[in-house]
Amino acid sequence: MTQGTRTSTALTRRWSAELMAFLFPAETDNWLTALRIGLGLQVAVYALFLKSDWHYLFASTGSGLVNRVLGEAITSFDSPLIPTLGWLVAVGGYLNIGEDAVLSIAWACLLCMGLLLLGGLFSRPAAIIGWFLHLCAAESGGLFAYGADNFMTTGLFYLMLSPLPDRYSLDYRLLKVQLGSQQLLGFWRRVLQVHMCFVYFAGGLAKALGSGWWDGSNLWRSLTRPPFNLVSPDILVRFKYGLPILGISICLIELGYPFFIWIRKTRFFWLVCILAIHAAIGLAMGLYLFALVMIVLNVAAFGIGDPSLTGVRRPPPQGSVRALQVG
Amino acid sequence: MISKHIHAIWFVVHFFLVAAVCFAGIFSLIAQGSTVLPSVIDKSARKAELIAAFALGKEAPASNPIRQAIATYLHAAGIQAGYSFFAPNVPAYHKLTLELFYADGRVEYESPHVTGKAAALRLDSLLDRLADERYEPLREVVVKMLALSIWRARPDVKKIRATFGAVSPPGIGDFEGGQRESFRPIFSYDFSLREREKQ
Repeated sequence: MTQGTRTSTALTRRWSAELMAFLFPAETDNWLTALRIGLGLQVAVYALFLKSDWHYLFASTGSGLVNRVLGEAITSFDSPLIPTLGWLVAVGGYLNIGEDAVLSIAWACLLCMGLLLLGGLFSRPAAIIGWFLHLCAAESGGLFAYGADNFMTTGLFYLMLSPLPDRYSLDYRLLKVQLGSQQLLGFWRRVLQVHMCFVYFAGGLAKALGSGWWDGSNLWRSLTRPPFNLVSPDILVRFKYGLPILGISICLIELGYPFFIWIRKTRFFWLVCILAIHAAIGLAMGLYLFALVMIVLNVAAFGIGDPSLTGVRRPPPQGSVRALQVG
Repeated sequence: MISKHIHAIWFVVHFFLVAAVCFAGIFSLIAQGSTVLPSVIDKSARKAELIAAFALGKEAPASNPIRQAIATYLHAAGIQAGYSFFAPNVPAYHKLTLELFYADGRVEYESPHVTGKAAALRLDSLLDRLADERYEPLREVVVKMLALSIWRARPDVKKIRATFGAVSPPGIGDFEGGQRESFRPIFSYDFSLREREKQ
């Protein structure tokens, strides 16, 4: 073996070990508690918000707003394997249950899954069923979908794969279900953390490429555009010199998120800024579901404890490879 | 250890897909010329978008099982769309006005509506989609369904004229100067309901 080959092999091993150390830090389940409770609340609120329009949005018969079958047909262009409410209606058909009843059952089940997640009872089945039902609704109503739906699907997807239950759940307290390994908890938190970095970097980059985020005009347009125009334009005009500063700040906070959120000294500040942006979006634009899911994902990813502090330091793996320092 | 390696491989594949979706969206914005970047790079951005689309299997025939598997996974994980909300610029919003013609000559104006605010947000999302050229083949059928939802509540209506258009709110300076939003019609349809009434 040549010197060069030995060096590259050693480097590959080192990188591999560093990657594994980064991916599998020992972690407590506090973040998972936050994610479970937050998404449980999100699912319950989603179901309650849509209660009065559920059948109107998802009916395929004459009583609906836009025939559900149309949305499902669009989804099936991507892949016929993507679950939709049509699947549930078809199953209901075999059992002689009508479409209206199936839709009502699906809605009630979704609400129940949200409540079960809130309490942490049957956490994993609740997460799986909640994810599936929400995915069915989001895909059937694809024409009506917006950003909050994708983040809910992603959050529930990660939640159902995470090592549930957590120590604050009823599963653990009442049913004495065993807790997951600390390294798997660390892995799934890393997944959520890296995902949030992608979200903000892509969002920040796309915004930074538009001139309107640098001169404040996009912020003005966002806040005066129905149905997001909860704040009167007359009030906004008073703060017109602040809009460019706010617009630039949003770009910089989003673009800087994947860098500064990992640095211990800037993490708290960055997290507070991001949470403030989402809280403001929720309150000033009426995007309550979107704001809630983003706050939940951020708090679970970076807000509960300090990832670099709560991660229990392990001895370095054989070969004295330095564990990747985060923050 | 095997379990860790499986997790690590999944992690790499998963975030490769997330990155491909995110950058396909950004390259698409650049290729459309809707960013502040010089138009010289539009072609390169188009190529980069195609490469990202290839990585996502979108260049394969719709029946290709790999393409379908990737699409199913993307939807299941909620990562089928990028994160460029309100970017690079905030677009105009859209309005669908339904002109209801009654047999006695009366004319009323109405818009599709839902009960809750959460669903209203979704209805606006649908209208914004209709303006997108990709949804052009669906416009008539969707507008017809929306018109039908209004007609169900008013069965004595004989004809509905649906006008869809973009509403551009004024800029700050224009607003201060007293200017208000402007409506630009994009398309309109006339739906006669007489046949349906006879049935």
